[in-house]
Amino acid sequence: MAQAGHLTQSRAAAPLVSAVTWLRIGIIAAALLTWQAAALWGASLSKINPALSTLLSKVTPSLLVVAESLAEVLFHPDLKWPIDLGIGSWRFTQELWIPSFYWHLYVTAAEVVVATIIGGLAGIAVGIALGAKPFLSRAFERYFYYLGPTPKVVFFPILILWFGVGPESKIAMGTLSCFFPIVLSVAAGMRQIDGVLIRVGRSFRLNSWQMVTKIYLPAMRQPILNGVRLGMGVALIGTLLAETRLSNKGIGFMVTDAYNTFDMPRMYAVLVVLFAVAIGANALVARVSRR
Amino acid sequence: MAEPILVVDHIVKRFETPEGVLTAVDDVSFTVAPGEFVAVIGPSGCGKSTLFNVIGGLLDGYEGRVSVSGETISGPHAAVGMIFQEESTFPWRNVIDNVAFPLEIAGMAKAERIEKARHFVDLVGLNGFERSYPSELSGGMRQRVSMARTLASEPKILLMDEPFAALDEQTRLLLGDKVLQIQQDLKQTTLLITHNLTEAVQLSDRILVMTYRPGRMKRMVDIKLPRPRSSEIVGSDAFGHYVAQIWNDLREEATKGLKDDESRRARTSRA
Repeated sequence: MAQAGHLTQSRAAAPLVSAVTWLRIGIIAAALLTWQAAALWGASLSKINPALSTLLSKVTPSLLVVAESLAEVLFHPDLKWPIDLGIGSWRFTQELWIPSFYWHLYVTAAEVVVATIIGGLAGIAVGIALGAKPFLSRAFERYFYYLGPTPKVVFFPILILWFGVGPESKIAMGTLSCFFPIVLSVAAGMRQIDGVLIRVGRSFRLNSWQMVTKIYLPAMRQPILNGVRLGMGVALIGTLLAETRLSNKGIGFMVTDAYNTFDMPRMYAVLVVLFAVAIGANALVARVSRR
Repeated sequence: MAEPILVVDHIVKRFETPEGVLTAVDDVSFTVAPGEFVAVIGPSGCGKSTLFNVIGGLLDGYEGRVSVSGETISGPHAAVGMIFQEESTFPWRNVIDNVAFPLEIAGMAKAERIEKARHFVDLVGLNGFERSYPSELSGGMRQRVSMARTLASEPKILLMDEPFAALDEQTRLLLGDKVLQIQQDLKQTTLLITHNLTEAVQLSDRILVMTYRPGRMKRMVDIKLPRPRSSEIVGSDAFGHYVAQIWNDLREEATKGLKDDESRRARTSRA
């Protein structure tokens, strides 16, 4: 009885916001406060130590300035977006001004999606081949393990020679980045398929294509989704990295562009939005793959 | 006797193992007539499952010949339907789509194959569960789904490898009834691989008793119990007589198997 009472009590006492959440909020708040303290300290040094003051104003600009840049990035229309729609004799033309950030975001997102589709399809195909044929996996799989963790950016100069400075070379970087983790994930998934399901397929005399579409792929749904999720993450990294190296559009370009013009608040603002987008995209993919 | 539909002719299958060449099946020959129910019984390790895989066309590199309706097989034959010992339903398909699988592979239109699959779902007594997924069913029900799936391909010969091994005794007897009923309804030629004596006697017209390693034919026993049968015959005198007779043969082999297994374990534990 006493125990039951204790249980009810502990349930009633369960806090609205858990300790973990408080800790997370606390750490972020502490970081922001430290940042702002550094900014204020830097400003107060302007007479005593102008060099350090300037440095601090660049490294830790006041949060208010960053917030202002954030608002500018998100809401200040600085790019002309011509709309030209026509159906038959009816035409609609309009010049729309939008914040350029959305255009760059669209470019990067499209590059990542295309890269994930190309790298994903190639990765799934190669992964299935490796998983289905022990001979191929013995011969080639270790190369994938070696190449997997190699930073693909070392190939970027070659990709520029092949695909130019436009989005094509970024897509190639993203594709190259996500191909390897997807191959390894799919090959491992193939080996986890219950052998009896393959024997069922053989007993019903499935051809190779039916084997892949009717048995391998549905049986590997989870490993494939995990692989693609992982692959999309590294495709994003590869694409952004390529954009910061050499490009004239995309989020990576925006970040380097802000850095090159020494507009640090703007750079931080873009990074903040980028984090938010990455978190949102990850949550979206997680939700889709759980279904 | 009618022309046999299945001929198993001097099958020998050897495996390379780290301890040397193991002869799993040694010179096994028998035939099955259309509509006949034959069981192959033997202790664990007598090569029953190897025989199953050879006849099903899933294993090659054997000596001898298997022919179905006069055709020598090379790989899985269209007229042979296999039911496996392990859980083999597709977890991503519901019952009706599992059962319709072979029809889908054959290229049958969706409405038609669902209609036909429904018939086989009824046959194994799973009506009402068409939309359920395997994870929502019991082990016995899942094995009935596999059975319906194989029956839906309308095989001339049904090949079963200890299909009830993972089930409890009551479910096993009741499922045995189901198999008897289906076999009588469809005049289904069946070859059952089992180590369960009751099951073999309950279901079969003939029982092939195999020896322990290497798997040779020890005896072929005709079961002259009246048909139609049900699990009730398990209590009859004639049934008991057959069980005792076959157990006599089987005990010797099972003992050999047990001794062999024990001495192997002793060796490995000493090593």
